[in-house]
Amino acid sequence: MYARRAAQLLQELSSCEEGQLPPYNGDKFDQVIRECEEHSRQFQSLIRDKDIETKNEDHYGSFIHHLSIIRNKRCLMAYMYKRAEVIQSYRWNVGRVLPREIQDKLNFSEQEYFKDYCGVIDSYMKDLDLDLTVDMVPPKDPYIRVRVLSEIGEVSLGDHAVSLTKDSFHFLRRTDAETFISQGLMEEFVE
Amino acid sequence: KKKKKRREQKSFPSQIASLPSPNPRHHPTVGLGASTCAMPGYYDISDILMEDEAVSVAFHVGANGVGLLDPGTETNSVEKGAKIDLPFWLAHELCRRRAVSITIPSCFGQKMKKDVQADAACVDLGTRYPYFYEFGCKLFPLVGDKSIGPFLRHTFANRYKEMLSKSHTASLNAIPKFVLRLSKEEHQLFEAARSSMVEFKKWRVRDLGLMKTTIVGHKRKTDLH
Repeated sequence: MYARRAAQLLQELSSCEEGQLPPYNGDKFDQVIRECEEHSRQFQSLIRDKDIETKNEDHYGSFIHHLSIIRNKRCLMAYMYKRAEVIQSYRWNVGRVLPREIQDKLNFSEQEYFKDYCGVIDSYMKDLDLDLTVDMVPPKDPYIRVRVLSEIGEVSLGDHAVSLTKDSFHFLRRTDAETFISQGLMEEFVE
Repeated sequence: KKKKKRREQKSFPSQIASLPSPNPRHHPTVGLGASTCAMPGYYDISDILMEDEAVSVAFHVGANGVGLLDPGTETNSVEKGAKIDLPFWLAHELCRRRAVSITIPSCFGQKMKKDVQADAACVDLGTRYPYFYEFGCKLFPLVGDKSIGPFLRHTFANRYKEMLSKSHTASLNAIPKFVLRLSKEEHQLFEAARSSMVEFKKWRVRDLGLMKTTIVGHKRKTDLH
């Protein structure tokens, strides 16, 4: 009671490393909501039939319950907000598809949120005709040496066609190569 | 007549701590923009956790239906004059409405002042009072003690010198023992200083492009060491 459990929820979140999430603690979340309902019940019983202006013991008791509800709300909101921020960063740092171990940490509505966020970003990038998710770190060189890992075949890049057979080496523009690298079909060849 | 917008006066250490981090992975595109609304820091988790610190209060009034707050009570209410420990977020609101008065916690008491006087850098804020500065800043308008402000500034100034010199020499992997003694705010400053020092070292030894002369074996490079 009195927002102690809500603070534990936030402790769990803050003890994780930056950019990582603990699994969604649905149980504790629901317990906090039940506590809010309890506070609300107590509040109702204290102000029933009472004159709101008189500052007696019931008034202060009901005020404390009211503050507890506000505090619980703030803790839960901050919990959701922080998780939403991290989920957004996943789109930029990890990609469109989340690995299994990250997906297991999100609850159903968070997974939906991720899908919707990806959709919004994609439609924006389509309007701009520009892929914003490549080159998150400014590259030193616009061209990159790559080695093809699995057979891709003929691909037209820019004004010429390149035949990307398995285990062949190419010297491509970084933007073209990055889509293949992120799918695991190519790797950067570092001397 | 134009009404002046009242801005929350932040103390010097927290002004520094709230500057954007130098981390290049901090994307400006991510973030739901709560800092521009009327309650800055509403979603800030360290602010919320800081307000969970317990303070000892004395009730000026009674309060019904909240017996769980006072472990010593038998009825479901708190008596007028009771002295109990409340979390700061509750004590703060009740104090504003003159329902309770807050006693100064031990972290700003005489013993602490003596410890700081003896050697500020050795005081262990990390384990005992990780939110030392933020808590002090929020507490001191509510309590009558005017000495808390100068005390915070004095403590910070004395610890800052040593922290700065240690952060510039500390390596990235090892965690020096004294880091565990830093409060959350000092820790942020320490990390910022350490990472900027690492970036500086990387910049110093960056590849300037070795210039080969026609004579094999002679390489010219500018020497920065």
